[in-house]
Amino acid sequence: MDKTAELLPGTLDMLILKAVSLKPLHGYGVMLRIRQISGDAIEIPQGSLYPALYRLEHHDLIAAEWGQSENNRRAKYYTLTATGRRRLRDETAGWNRLVTAIAAALNTTSEQV
Amino acid sequence: MFKRLRSLFRVLTRRRDFEDGMTEELRFHIEQYADELVRSGMSPEKAARHARIEFGSLDSVKGDCREERGLHLFDEFRRELSYAVRLLRKTPGFTATALLTLAVCLGANLTIFAVIDSVLLRPLPFREPDRLMTIFNTYPKAGVERDGSSLTNYYERRGHISAFTSLAIYRYGTEIIGEAGLTDREQTMRVSPDFFSTLGLGPAIGRTFTEEETTSETDHVAILSYTFWRQRYNADPNVIGRLVRVNSVPRTVIGVLPPTFRFLSSDARVFLPLASRAEERTPLRRHSGGNVIQMIARLQPGVTLAQAQSQIDAHNAMLEADDPQAKMIADAGFRSMAVPLHADHVAAIRPTLLLLQAGAFALLLIGAVNLVNLLLIRASGRVKELAVRQALGASRAYVVSEVVVETTLLTLVGGLLGLAIGAGGIRLLRVLGADHLPLGGRIAFDAQLASVALVAAIIMGIVLAVPIAWFNLRQHLGNALQSESRGGTSSRAAQILRHSFIVSQIALAFMLLAGAGLLGLSLQRAMAVSPGFQSDHVLTGQILLPWADYSEAARLTFVESLMDKIAYLPGVLSAGVVNNVPFSGLSGKSAATVVGHVLRPGESARGHYSYGVAGDYFRAMGFSLRAGRFLTADDSRRSQRVCVVDDDFARYYWPHASAIGQRLWDGSEAGRDAETFTVVGVVGGAKQAGLTEEQAQGAIYYPYAFRIGDSVFVAVRTSLPPESLGLALQKVVRQIDSNIPVNDLRSMETRITDSLVARRSPALLAGLFSGMALLLTAIGTYGVLSYAVAQRRREIGLRMALGAQPGQIRSQFFYLSLRLLAGGTILGVIGAWLTGQAMQAVLFHVPALNLAILGGAALVMGVMSLVACLVPSHRAAQISPMEALAEE
Repeated sequence: MDKTAELLPGTLDMLILKAVSLKPLHGYGVMLRIRQISGDAIEIPQGSLYPALYRLEHHDLIAAEWGQSENNRRAKYYTLTATGRRRLRDETAGWNRLVTAIAAALNTTSEQV
Repeated sequence: MFKRLRSLFRVLTRRRDFEDGMTEELRFHIEQYADELVRSGMSPEKAARHARIEFGSLDSVKGDCREERGLHLFDEFRRELSYAVRLLRKTPGFTATALLTLAVCLGANLTIFAVIDSVLLRPLPFREPDRLMTIFNTYPKAGVERDGSSLTNYYERRGHISAFTSLAIYRYGTEIIGEAGLTDREQTMRVSPDFFSTLGLGPAIGRTFTEEETTSETDHVAILSYTFWRQRYNADPNVIGRLVRVNSVPRTVIGVLPPTFRFLSSDARVFLPLASRAEERTPLRRHSGGNVIQMIARLQPGVTLAQAQSQIDAHNAMLEADDPQAKMIADAGFRSMAVPLHADHVAAIRPTLLLLQAGAFALLLIGAVNLVNLLLIRASGRVKELAVRQALGASRAYVVSEVVVETTLLTLVGGLLGLAIGAGGIRLLRVLGADHLPLGGRIAFDAQLASVALVAAIIMGIVLAVPIAWFNLRQHLGNALQSESRGGTSSRAAQILRHSFIVSQIALAFMLLAGAGLLGLSLQRAMAVSPGFQSDHVLTGQILLPWADYSEAARLTFVESLMDKIAYLPGVLSAGVVNNVPFSGLSGKSAATVVGHVLRPGESARGHYSYGVAGDYFRAMGFSLRAGRFLTADDSRRSQRVCVVDDDFARYYWPHASAIGQRLWDGSEAGRDAETFTVVGVVGGAKQAGLTEEQAQGAIYYPYAFRIGDSVFVAVRTSLPPESLGLALQKVVRQIDSNIPVNDLRSMETRITDSLVARRSPALLAGLFSGMALLLTAIGTYGVLSYAVAQRRREIGLRMALGAQPGQIRSQFFYLSLRLLAGGTILGVIGAWLTGQAMQAVLFHVPALNLAILGGAALVMGVMSLVACLVPSHRAAQISPMEALAEE
């Protein structure tokens, strides 16, 4: 448990977009994929996953389609749309800038001031 | 934004699919999770439970999902709607009152607006209709306000006034159309070749008239209206070249107009070239318009009306420079005025229509105030319920939207009912003569009108919600919850609001009542005016003799034999003929030159009604003889150069001498001595254009032989009811010529009654509106007083327990209603005065502030208030102290 990180506000959407960008996924798959690609560090709260998916679909960032799951059940699969791809790129760039800036700020020593 | 709307729309239209899909998706997730837990070693039951707990509340997740898709607003709306429906169904009395009020008020407004829309607002069906102008000659100082245009005007102006792209003339007429024995009288228009191009709408099939077709020898062509083509020619596509017989002369059909073609209010079905002879176009005939020929013009793009007017003035000045009559014309104040065609056509009816719309709107205000009061009362009864709900977390936005949904639901349903009432109202207006208004034929109930009405209903719903929402929001939760009575504390502010609403309602109803009174009184005063002759027992009809068959001599013979034959009809006392009967709707004036009369400085020649009479016209019409003798049948036979003038004429020209034996010339110039007419009699003045015609310009009656015109009006005095003679009269005319019908067959009294329709119908409508306003105000006053009684039950019970008499209680409420009445009446008097000022244009001999009307209105309002307060105050006095105090 000590490995898990708190999900920062606003990052859930970004993670979902990323997860879906790799391969079409159903909701449960999105959760697993985020857990996997974050090295088991991020566990998204199940209650907020679906509202987020619906929000992203409503904003036309992801598209949904019914399909067949691995165990042959009907499941709703989400894929990234062109708008979603653009948004993911922008958000990734923004995030990287933010992380670099904050890291730089936090690594500052008293001599550098 | 658009995509999001589309996604919302998709979800809304397939709401079931959305819900099912969401349920399935979430269930899938939980099952997958449970499977995973089972794989990690949990028992299936425990795994299923654990998965559900971990996932959280399904309903709340679903709610969040719906919200993300923007669906929650609609769900909330649906909830509020069903809540509103339930509330309204719980109080059927209130709902019925509210809906009826709304239906009546919106329906009345819709009806009047339908007229305003089609008469004033909707553009004429031509290209760029706002560039279309009409030009007419006016000689105000000669008493001739409007004289149309002359042929000369047209030929002189055409192409010489650069402000206009084109210029055309037209005249209305009626002709006998069809083969012998199968003839019909049809409305026609004679137009110049550029008429259709000026309007920007020409024949759909064929061509327009050419310049060569404007002489009397070459004008044997005709253009048909769409309906005439459909009805008479079975919509024959090869109609061009076929013949149409007009006044028994065959003409070639050269065109058919499109179905949308309608020139102003004209019902013309056949269009003919406006042909003339060269001598009719000479400068000498420049001022001989006589209000028969009218001119229209299309303004050049970018040119203002003022520029066009100054060009016309300059052009007139240039032409008048070498006119021998220039001085006289200038003295008469001659000008040619250019005014917008549409506005000019409806100018006379515009103030009345706007006034009626204002009246209908006042009615709507009264109805709205009623509703707000009723809703406020209801809201007061629900203060506690609302407080509880707010305490449980209902947001302010929710409180507001709930009210908006309820009022809008009410106004929308009321609006739908109002549509039905409006449709009925439009039919009622037809009965009241709206069809005869300028452009009245266009009045129709269509989708555009219906959508305007529904939008208005929605706006009204939102406006109505404002005071209610304000009232609901300003309640203090604590107070409301603590107050012990069911109705909560009586809010002082709400009470003042209710009372001021009642006061304004009374004031508005008072204004409507006073306005209707003014219109009624004005109608009564107009009806009291004597037409100048005895209008009872006189039958009149118009006979149009085509010039092709009837030369001047033939006309005289026709009139002669008509008089002979009518004399033998049973019940006929006397009969005569005139070229224009009073109240015919035609009122051209012409000049006369009196021998020995020298124009004083500043005085101009005057226009007089000039008649040609034959037979025993004066006796048939019941004119009174002031001096000398009437013209008789002998005068017309012998073609004596004699004439009769009326009182006003005699008084103007010979104020100190007898008119008998004086001489005058017909026309604006002195002629030879032998051409004078000698005055042999003076008769009482008669109204020509209408009872309310103010200017007494004087009239001259010549023997018919000297004033032969297009049409002949016959007037028959009978001892029987005049209408009963109609068939016999038509038969007599057919005996002389089987192709000639009698038109416009009406008794003189009917003519006079019809001429007042523009006063009677508005007065009736205003009366109807004020009646409704009175009823609504009574309902409003009653509602508010009843509420006041119900609310103060405990207080009254207590006072009565302490010894107050029922009479005291009763008078308390009586004084309350008296105070409201007094406030309303004071405001109402001020309003009535303003209304009267605004109405001056449509009133006849009635001042803006008439004491009798104000007193009457005050009396009616007083009785209304008294009746409205009787029941509630009686109920108050009946309250039993025991019961009132024992409640709760």
